[in-house]
Amino acid sequence: MKALTVIRREYFTNVRRRSFIISTILVPVLMSLFFGMPVMLAMFEPQQQFRLAVVDETGRIGDGFIAALTDTLKDGRQKYLATLAPSQGAHYSAARDSCVALLQGKGLNMVIAIPAGVLDGEKASYITRQDRNFNVMDRFEDALSDAVLKERLAAEGLDYARVRQLTTNVELEMNQLTKAGGVEKRSFISEYGLVFFFVMVLYSAILQWGMTIARSITEEKQSRIIEVLLSTLTSRDLMLGKLIGVGLAGMTQLLIWAVVGLAITSSALPAIAATAGAIHVSPVVFLFFAIFFVLGFMLYAAMFMVVGAVSSTDQDVQQMQTVVMLPMLVPLMSLMLFMQNPNGGVAVGMSLIPVFTPLVMQARIALLMPPTWQIALGIALMLITIYFAVTFAARVFRVGILMHGKRPSLREMVHWYRMAR
Amino acid sequence: MNSAVEINQVVKAYGDRVAVDHVTLAVPTGSVYGFLGPNGAGKTSTIRMMMRILFPDEGTIRILGEDLHAANLDRVGYLPEERGLYKKMRLGDQLLFFGELHGLTRAQAKQRAGMWLDRMGLLDRVMRPVEDLSKGMQQKVQFIATILHEPELLILDEPFSGLDPVNANILKEIILEYHRRGHTIIFSTHQMDTVEKLCDHICLINQGRVVLEGTLASVKQRYGKNGVNLRFEGDGSHLKTLPGVASFQDHGNELFLRLHEGVDPSVILDAARGRVSLTRFELAEPSVYDIFIEQVSGDNR
Repeated sequence: MKALTVIRREYFTNVRRRSFIISTILVPVLMSLFFGMPVMLAMFEPQQQFRLAVVDETGRIGDGFIAALTDTLKDGRQKYLATLAPSQGAHYSAARDSCVALLQGKGLNMVIAIPAGVLDGEKASYITRQDRNFNVMDRFEDALSDAVLKERLAAEGLDYARVRQLTTNVELEMNQLTKAGGVEKRSFISEYGLVFFFVMVLYSAILQWGMTIARSITEEKQSRIIEVLLSTLTSRDLMLGKLIGVGLAGMTQLLIWAVVGLAITSSALPAIAATAGAIHVSPVVFLFFAIFFVLGFMLYAAMFMVVGAVSSTDQDVQQMQTVVMLPMLVPLMSLMLFMQNPNGGVAVGMSLIPVFTPLVMQARIALLMPPTWQIALGIALMLITIYFAVTFAARVFRVGILMHGKRPSLREMVHWYRMAR
Repeated sequence: MNSAVEINQVVKAYGDRVAVDHVTLAVPTGSVYGFLGPNGAGKTSTIRMMMRILFPDEGTIRILGEDLHAANLDRVGYLPEERGLYKKMRLGDQLLFFGELHGLTRAQAKQRAGMWLDRMGLLDRVMRPVEDLSKGMQQKVQFIATILHEPELLILDEPFSGLDPVNANILKEIILEYHRRGHTIIFSTHQMDTVEKLCDHICLINQGRVVLEGTLASVKQRYGKNGVNLRFEGDGSHLKTLPGVASFQDHGNELFLRLHEGVDPSVILDAARGRVSLTRFELAEPSVYDIFIEQVSGDNR
């Protein structure tokens, strides 16, 4: 079958394209950087010991503060080597100045000066030569606050540990009823993030490969290759070949990403795996992702084919593809709306409108498995729409690919549809 | 003699404009058939209908003995007037693609593409994308793509446009080779000297209608053999209006006069003598060019 030759050409042309290779490599790299960055930063944190001098005007806070700095480095050494400078009463500012003077030498990294007023809300100071390390500063702030709190409570005759215990916050744990009737624990943030991630990837994949089809048709139109092609194969075979060839190229890229993603989460880089592994995705979600990519691609590719067939230049394509993109943007913008209530009327309704089905149903499946009949109905409606869209596209394609110059109106397109056999 | 292409009462209209108006013609198998006509005469539309790119509104077309809708167009090679190749695709891949599209196996396509590229001196470019090649080279690549599957019928729309004389000759040789092997070639061109030298049959089409059709010799016969070619210095405009002159073509440096049947050419010589200084006077049959110009300008007047 000649469509096979077209499939092969479309597939290899797209897979060998430089932009394909770059995005195939770059996307997983960026993704793992994004997810792994915090972990990696922690991993590559310098193993440095900090020497600090604590000047304490109160005489009551310093010890507690130093005692709280129990952090250790990876090799087990102490991270903070703190010394309490003797500085009672009037000696405070003198002691502080001499400690600060010591910062000039290499023996001391930082000075923490705790004024007497600290118990009444005055600020303590952190003096350093150049190591502006925000993590360290945060750590000191916490330790200092704790020590001050302990002191204030003691002054009121209250027990620190007891107060801590009594003022603990209450957290809400997210649970969800499963189909079986049991209760399943779910994490809010990671899951919504994941749904967003899936929807965005699906959206950009459908759009990217749909536009590839439009461009490939205008190329053949502009270069008049189309005339040679049509003299040897039917427009049906040509269209089918393009749909399958380009679709397979898209599938290849998604598959590579999935494999790389799984490889990373399952082993390679333990640190990234730790963050990514916390997000659990059921294989069913992946399966539906593949199904909705194929269906969404077919539907939108048919529309993009019409765009390609009626356009004579790349500018025409760019202008017209906006119209095709619009129905994709609607579910994207209302994502938050139906994510809050994935089984509500809006979500169910939108997931059954074929142009919205891929994105909305995918989001619903990732959030909370919808009833089977809804998924089946959504897919069935899509298949019917795809059938009509492809038939319409094939006819407009047949006539449009030989037309040059002025862009046809919708009425002319309908006329083409009627005259094509 | 059977026909490679038979077109019978074919009509094609675009809206109100009738591009092809009841065209009937037959291209004999093994002929080199010149398909002539001014721009917009309906040549490309007719050819596109032969290639099933457009569908006739009326009439029938038979290709290689079969009805058009059933014909195996893999036996036909078509070089459209407006050329096109995939710019980013490698030369070799491109030829394999077109070869396979026309029903060759990959191995066959590879072997033949190698042979032709070698003959055209393009073998070292086989891995280059087409956009790296010069216009002339691209033209040759397109020609190879047209003949790779060794079609029995070759339809060439302006095959020599844009080629230098050396490359045009290479193409001509290949076309003649095809002709000697008994293949049928249809030429659509404006280069009348090419038609004169290569074609044994011609068809002149104007405003969608066939004006003349037949063997080159018979067309010239029908048109009348009585003509004079003159080359001279001075004002010879009075010669055009002499009583025996049926029509004329002023080429600038040369003047062709077609005479009425039975007029003695020496009448012209007498009239020229003394008025202009003649450098050439010859009895000539009309060239395809002369026939073309006269028919087309006559009809469009």
